[in-house]
Amino acid sequence: MPNPAESLAQRVAERVVDLLVRAININELVLRVDLNALLQQVDLDKALGKVNMDALLARVDVNELIDRVDVNALLDRVNVNALLDRADVNALLDRVNVDALLDRADVNALLDRANVDALLDRASVDDVVRRVDVDAVLDRVDVNGLVGRIDMDLLVEQTDLGAVIARSSGGAASEALDAARSQAVGLDQFIDCWVGRVLRRKHPLPLAPPVLLAPREES
Amino acid sequence: MSTRARAAGWVSSQGHYAGSVSRLLAFLIDVVVSFSLAALGLAVTSLVAQVVTGHSISWDRTDIAVAIIFAAWEFFYFGYSWAASGRTFGMAVLGVRVVCADGNGLDPWRGVVRALAFPLSFLFFGLGFLGILVQREHRALHDLIAGTAVTYAWDARAARIRFLAREAEAGAGSKHDG
Repeated sequence: MPNPAESLAQRVAERVVDLLVRAININELVLRVDLNALLQQVDLDKALGKVNMDALLARVDVNELIDRVDVNALLDRVNVNALLDRADVNALLDRVNVDALLDRADVNALLDRANVDALLDRASVDDVVRRVDVDAVLDRVDVNGLVGRIDMDLLVEQTDLGAVIARSSGGAASEALDAARSQAVGLDQFIDCWVGRVLRRKHPLPLAPPVLLAPREES
Repeated sequence: MSTRARAAGWVSSQGHYAGSVSRLLAFLIDVVVSFSLAALGLAVTSLVAQVVTGHSISWDRTDIAVAIIFAAWEFFYFGYSWAASGRTFGMAVLGVRVVCADGNGLDPWRGVVRALAFPLSFLFFGLGFLGILVQREHRALHDLIAGTAVTYAWDARAARIRFLAREAEAGAGSKHDG
């Protein structure tokens, strides 16, 4: 059986606390609390150690969170140059599969977007040419084949080369020799033709010895 | 056929078997040259003998010694020319040369054999030369014996360029005059 006086004191105290709480403006009280000072006194590491982060993150909708993030504003605040200064770009590139990257890239579309003229304006062609190993390039060129493709008739007719040749080698002796030889060749062919008809040859004669004929056929 | 097409034909015939006209003309030139040199040699010898001994030497064509000297000279003239360079003076003028039957350069010994066999082609009214006309490779009897052939070997390409150059210059001159 409780003491009647103690019971009365209990009821009075509850009544006083109730009146006191009603009289206090909680919001105003919270505003007067120095939260920073309060947080400094809190051992956050210990508090966070008690939190089950996995369970917490499982309840968070990360996609929705990301959707609410203003990525552009975030990137505007990032000092990209400083970031790149701190990055080991070579190591980064070592980890990049460039072939796979290029396979996925539409190079034609990229080139369509490139202003090649502007690029060439900025390029020092002289420097590029200076770095070219011309000897190596010429080693790969078939000069004989190139010369063989020259139309000597046009070259002699349409340039001053013809006049130079005519003046330098146009001696009467060489002209007479050329004429005698060419006439003799013509007569040889004429006689061969008639001998072939008289002998009624059906198959063409060998034109030259095998060794002399082979290079001509290759060319 | 135009002159230009003929000029192109010169080049394409390089290395081909030489025909009868070229070879005949070359031989005629060689005959003239070798006879002239032989006559000159005999004349010089006679002159030297007259200066040294005071007696002139009269060369008689029927003399066997003269015939032997002449034959030896002709053998030397042709044999040395073919062995050394594959061509005589006349062949050089006409732009033909002697090669092995397969087209390789002439071995000196083949040149000597060809010179030794050369007189055989004159037998029976020059029957051995008929091969130049009718044989498939234009080879005469002495060619068949020595294993040789005669081909065109003049620089027809250069000749053709000279020809075109002369033609171009003549054309330019006529335009200029017009």
